[in-house]
Amino acid sequence: MIHARNTDRLLIISTLILVVVGVVMVYSTSYVVATKRFGSEYFFVKKQLIFAAAGIMLFIVSAKIPYRLYRHLAYPILIFAILLLLLIFVPTLSHEAGGARRWIKIMGFTFQPSEFAKFAVIIFLAYSLEAKQSVIKDFYAGFLPNIIIPGVVIALIMSEPDFGTAVTLTILVYVMNFAGGVKFRYLGGLTLAVLPVLYLVVTNFGYMMNRITVFLDPWKDPSGAGFQMVQSFLAFGSGGLSGVGLGEGKQKLFFLPEAHTDFIFSIIGEEMGLIGAGITIALYLAFFISGTRIAMRAKDLFGTYLALGLTLMISLQALVNMAVVMGVVPPKGLTLPFISYGGTSLLVSLFAVGIILNVCIEGNEH
Amino acid sequence: MKNERDALKIRIIFVSVIFVLFYGVIFSRAFQLQIIEGESLEEKAGRQHVRTHTVPSKRGAILDRNLNELAVSLEVDSIFAHPREMEDNSIDKVSVAKILSEVLPVKKSILSKSLSSKKGFVWLKRQLDLGAEDRTTLSGLKGIGMVKEGRRFYPSDSLAANLMGFTGIDSNGLEGIELHFDEDLKGTPIVMKADKDAKGNLLLFEDLEESVQGMDLVLTIDKNIQYIAEKALKDAVDKFEAVAGTVIVMEPKSGEILAMATLPTFNPNEFSEHSPYEWRNRAVTDSFEPGSTMKAFLLASVLEDGLFDTDDILYCENGKYDVYDRTFHDTKEHGWLSVGNIIKNSSNIGAIKMSEKLGRRRFHSYLKDFGFGYKTGIGLPGESKGVMAQGKKWSEIKRNTISFGQGISVTSIQLVTAISAIANGGYLMEPRIVKELRTSSGIVASKYNPLVRRRVISEETSKEVTEVLKSVVAPGGTGVRASEGLGFAVAGKTGTAQKVDPEKGGYSKDNFLVSFLGFAPADDPRLAIFVMLDEPKTGVAGGIAAAPVFREIVKETLPYLGVFPEGLPSEEVLGEATPRFVKRDTVDGSRSVKKADSGTVDATSTDTVPDFTGKTMRSALLLARVRSMDIDIEGSGRAVSQSLVAGSKIGDGNVTVVFH
Repeated sequence: MIHARNTDRLLIISTLILVVVGVVMVYSTSYVVATKRFGSEYFFVKKQLIFAAAGIMLFIVSAKIPYRLYRHLAYPILIFAILLLLLIFVPTLSHEAGGARRWIKIMGFTFQPSEFAKFAVIIFLAYSLEAKQSVIKDFYAGFLPNIIIPGVVIALIMSEPDFGTAVTLTILVYVMNFAGGVKFRYLGGLTLAVLPVLYLVVTNFGYMMNRITVFLDPWKDPSGAGFQMVQSFLAFGSGGLSGVGLGEGKQKLFFLPEAHTDFIFSIIGEEMGLIGAGITIALYLAFFISGTRIAMRAKDLFGTYLALGLTLMISLQALVNMAVVMGVVPPKGLTLPFISYGGTSLLVSLFAVGIILNVCIEGNEH
Repeated sequence: MKNERDALKIRIIFVSVIFVLFYGVIFSRAFQLQIIEGESLEEKAGRQHVRTHTVPSKRGAILDRNLNELAVSLEVDSIFAHPREMEDNSIDKVSVAKILSEVLPVKKSILSKSLSSKKGFVWLKRQLDLGAEDRTTLSGLKGIGMVKEGRRFYPSDSLAANLMGFTGIDSNGLEGIELHFDEDLKGTPIVMKADKDAKGNLLLFEDLEESVQGMDLVLTIDKNIQYIAEKALKDAVDKFEAVAGTVIVMEPKSGEILAMATLPTFNPNEFSEHSPYEWRNRAVTDSFEPGSTMKAFLLASVLEDGLFDTDDILYCENGKYDVYDRTFHDTKEHGWLSVGNIIKNSSNIGAIKMSEKLGRRRFHSYLKDFGFGYKTGIGLPGESKGVMAQGKKWSEIKRNTISFGQGISVTSIQLVTAISAIANGGYLMEPRIVKELRTSSGIVASKYNPLVRRRVISEETSKEVTEVLKSVVAPGGTGVRASEGLGFAVAGKTGTAQKVDPEKGGYSKDNFLVSFLGFAPADDPRLAIFVMLDEPKTGVAGGIAAAPVFREIVKETLPYLGVFPEGLPSEEVLGEATPRFVKRDTVDGSRSVKKADSGTVDATSTDTVPDFTGKTMRSALLLARVRSMDIDIEGSGRAVSQSLVAGSKIGDGNVTVVFH
């Protein structure tokens, strides 16, 4: 049993509220589309509810799995993740959508290997940073393996292409390495070395360049390339301080494509106003703070790095998604953790929270 | 190890602070979008969401002065399709087109073409009557919809068509009264707000704003008098083979127009099958040189200025009068004529002599006061003001020719308004075509009361002119046919004008415009009437072709108004003798006539049933009334049969007369 005194209530409460907000908002954003496409307004919310229930059970289970288990499985998990990523390149298994191969389909079940790969990288880094603690300042022993191995995974994700996940994972790797004590010099040097390459990549991939120009001035072509961004702005603007009311938003009426996934935060802004958006931001902040607190109180370094990595994984994705829909950073194609419609994402996130909670429980026992 | 642990904590806190800062950035951005730029963004959003959909409200009816319907709006069905929605829902358009073609009077190929359009909305067929069964069929089709629309219907077809005008398919007035009073008739449209999605589909109808139904327009026209006038005009146009004709009947004391008939005419229910030439309301749009009817106003002017008495005599030069380089002729040679006889005989030379004394400035001033050269203010589209030059610019020749109606161009409505001023004791009225506006619930919203524009001549002058105009229609006068066998004292003036030859210039020897302008009864005028026939082939004189039209109208209309010829029972004798003695029977639609209060039977009547066939409803009622018999009326138009044969004795039972 999970004992309340041993757990971090803030983590559980913020997570559960975010999941509930997600179910409500998925219904609000999808009922028109669902009615139109599938003849039932509950089409999406029903699935989301089922996944939320499954996710919460997964969360309870993972909270009971001793986290040190992952330390022993770090390499097998990493190898398995890489294999899954490679499977995407097998035409019969890959499932394409929107010009990107991000899914594999096994026995009628679609799965996003990059979601699993993030886990694998975090577990690997937590393991590696702990194992190499004594030589962490060393370039060859401390820096290189912790960069190169995750780099391979990121490169594979990049080639799907899944730019959004690759970028968040890169940031995550940097932050974990920094927290783990890798010399800042090396990390900074690497950044300077990578920047020109990044520039070349961005300018050579037309769609990336487009995203950036649209990001810089979405109003230049509000009915074309800038359409989504402009519609998202209009949603926020319509919301004002207190919103137009739950379910009353107009922007989900096909103005914002996929309002129940990537742009769900825009509809929160429209329907619940700045108050709703602010509360959502505060919930993520609460989640982040309780996650890092747990990381600092973990009984060992692996626990610290694991909890920190998983907290950062979710928080970063939330930050980037919110930043994207408000035009602060260029579009990435990331969902909002706990809230956006999507089974894999919800299961993975809740599983991750379970692990963090286990780190917390064991840390308190110790 | 402790140091290492602290260093780790510091690094984690450092990372945390950066993250918290980012959350702050996110919140600030939300604040910027929602609060600072909120209003302008919201406005932009509103513009793309809300689309208003307007549907015209029911157009008001046009009624005659007794509230008979002249134009009404019927609710009919219009069928439309949402082709794009059908596309999205992958509906089989071919089968839909097939079903539609069985219900709608539209070819399958045309329907298929409409359905395959890329638009969000197309009309398939507008304004038709659908049976309940067809309606059920259509409502079962996805992507096909129906709305109720108003279709204009003119129950009396061409009756007063040129005056009324017509409306287009969207019930907007295009001509005539329908055009001029479009705003009043239309009311305010029903505005429906609809949410629109990014695909342009209308989603939820939000609220219905207050809309005002169109007003009903009550005209001064009397449907029966209009019918009488049109009939008389048509008979004359046919008989004398004229190309066009106009009749206006005005109530001189109020300026209200009781009838305005023009030929050629059209059926407004199918206006598109007629040409604009036939749509035209010549009574107000066309101006022409009036000819001798002008002499009536010349006479009024000289008498009002006290230049002559009607007994004063002038020398008429034996039919040939040289002024400067021009020679004027009379049709008949006259020596000395009194002023009255100059008018009676319509002597041009006599008229010239009168105008010489009046002078061009005074003459012009009087004509202006009578309303010539200016719009009358009747409020009908396309009114012409005619052509009259400023008096000081008139040459002596012009003054001479205007005295007998050449060199000035006037409209029919100007003439009838001007003669009304002579008939009513000297007041120039503003002609009235609309009596009042009523709301859809029947409340009078605004009334158009009679309006005196100015006093032109004195009561005394008016009486003197009337006496002279009475002589015109007396035996020996040019307009004698206006009064023959009428039994009423009437007054008037004939006009026979040569038309300008458009090709050669100068006056044509073949084309004339003949007219008669008068009023009746002469001593207490109830009707002022102008009759004009354009280019008659035979009967080329106002006294021959136009005067009988005047007589016909007077003969039928005055009794209808309760004014009877001498020797027939007068209003007083019959008591409640008004046009409203006809009551509508609400049950079977036929009409029954209340038995007259008085049993008085005059000399001309008999105690046998008269022959009603061929009589108008009014004449039939009059015939019945003078015999104190009750008749039931069925139908409308002219009597075609009667339940008791003519000549049989009047019994207790009612006689039914069928009209068609």
